[in-house]
Amino acid sequence: MMRVVRLLTLPAALVLLWWAVSGSSFYLPSPGLVGQAFAETWFSERVVEDVLPSVGRLLAGYAVAGLLGVGLGVPIGLSPRLRATLEPVLEFFRAIPPPVLVPLIMLLAGIDTPMKVLVIVSGCLWPILLNTVEGVRALDEVLADTCRMYGVRGTARLRRFVLRGASPQIMTGLRQALSIGIILMVISEMFASSSGLGFTILVFQRQFQIAEMWSGILLLGLIGLTLSVLFRRVERRVLAWYYGSGAARA
Amino acid sequence: MLEISSLRKVYESPGRTVEAIRSITFGVGAGELVCVVGPSGCGKTTLLRCVAGLLPVSGGEVRVDDVPVTGPPPRMAVVFQEYGRSLFPWMTVRENVELPLKEKKVPAGQRHELVHGSLNAVGLGDAADAHPWQLSGGMQQRVAIARAVAYQPQVLLMDEPFAAVDAQTRADLEDLILRLWRDLEVTTLFVTHDIDEAVYLGQRVIVLSSSPTVILEDLKVDLPPERDQLTTRSLPRFGELRGHVYRQIQRARDRR
Repeated sequence: MMRVVRLLTLPAALVLLWWAVSGSSFYLPSPGLVGQAFAETWFSERVVEDVLPSVGRLLAGYAVAGLLGVGLGVPIGLSPRLRATLEPVLEFFRAIPPPVLVPLIMLLAGIDTPMKVLVIVSGCLWPILLNTVEGVRALDEVLADTCRMYGVRGTARLRRFVLRGASPQIMTGLRQALSIGIILMVISEMFASSSGLGFTILVFQRQFQIAEMWSGILLLGLIGLTLSVLFRRVERRVLAWYYGSGAARA
Repeated sequence: MLEISSLRKVYESPGRTVEAIRSITFGVGAGELVCVVGPSGCGKTTLLRCVAGLLPVSGGEVRVDDVPVTGPPPRMAVVFQEYGRSLFPWMTVRENVELPLKEKKVPAGQRHELVHGSLNAVGLGDAADAHPWQLSGGMQQRVAIARAVAYQPQVLLMDEPFAAVDAQTRADLEDLILRLWRDLEVTTLFVTHDIDEAVYLGQRVIVLSSSPTVILEDLKVDLPPERDQLTTRSLPRFGELRGHVYRQIQRARDRR
């Protein structure tokens, strides 16, 4: 009970503050108006036409980036030679802000769903890849020797040692990628698009439907929050041993 | 069972060559327990890693059951010093012991028997479902020992396995090793920096020089085969042997 109160205190205070300063400007409608716009705008066929496709593309791009990042990161992390060759290049690609790739990817992949998914992949891939490389590189040598001594090799070694041992860093990469993915989901829809959350918010802004625009921003925040809560849950399960052993060491 | 002949190990890196082991030759007969002792930094771990096939030798060779070692031999088990890093933290105690058996394709029924039996033998029958990090250091090393025992090795290598546990636990674990070794009759090579431990456990003690390492002495321990922490350690002969090895190592240090 106390926890719920503590969780809700700050959001309630922020809504109050918002309510107090709203109305001073046409561009800052009151919470009531935005709430009403939210219900009217998003509890409609827009969920199916704009929200679900956006989230679907996000999840698709995120999944592809995850598979690619881990799939490439493991061999690179395991091979010092491959790492020495590739790492400067990877750091360079990571340093390019993904939104600037949108115009380029539009030229290559058009303006439809493949382009948007590709934009999300191009941004999410790097943190996953680089964190996987780092995690695999830093695997414990004594455990590696243990695997060799006890005949743990091939896929068993990969599944039971390499991936599990690197999983804390892989999860860190996945967490970073998730927030990048949400940003890119919106940005990819602001270029030459005709549907999706980012597109809808832009249209509301151009048509001076300010309350509706705000409600879209609110919805994006809620989607981000939901995804990060879900991620937390998965992470707690996957890394239970990691948090446990950390607590035991401390 | 285990033959080490003219083993030499040189670490080479660009612009730097370090001769860790000059020449080591000795054998361990089937069912024998031999301790290797030497001053710190004398290449004990290097020797053990060469014997285990984890490190390529620069010269000479290691044979197990007359087969030259080129990689980790299939029927050899190692207990490492760093118990905290040799167990998989994401697996339970049972899974840790069972994993090598699964990879060896031991049928499920026999596997469960081996896991159960070896965990009971080290006194951890109740801890099978715990994770290693929930156990004390001594108990973690017992898990590593159980894993080695369940693997049914021909040769058991131990690399300063008790260097990081407290004195009381250490005495318990020494007796555990003696009991398991006697019950299983497994050929054992036990590396330690502790002279008392080497004399207490070994049928023979190999004394190493400082690096570049050679053997200073291959000493037969003529103590009664039944060892006991109290009576064995208070035998006059125990003191003599201990003093003898101590002087050897002291000389090795001075010569450096």
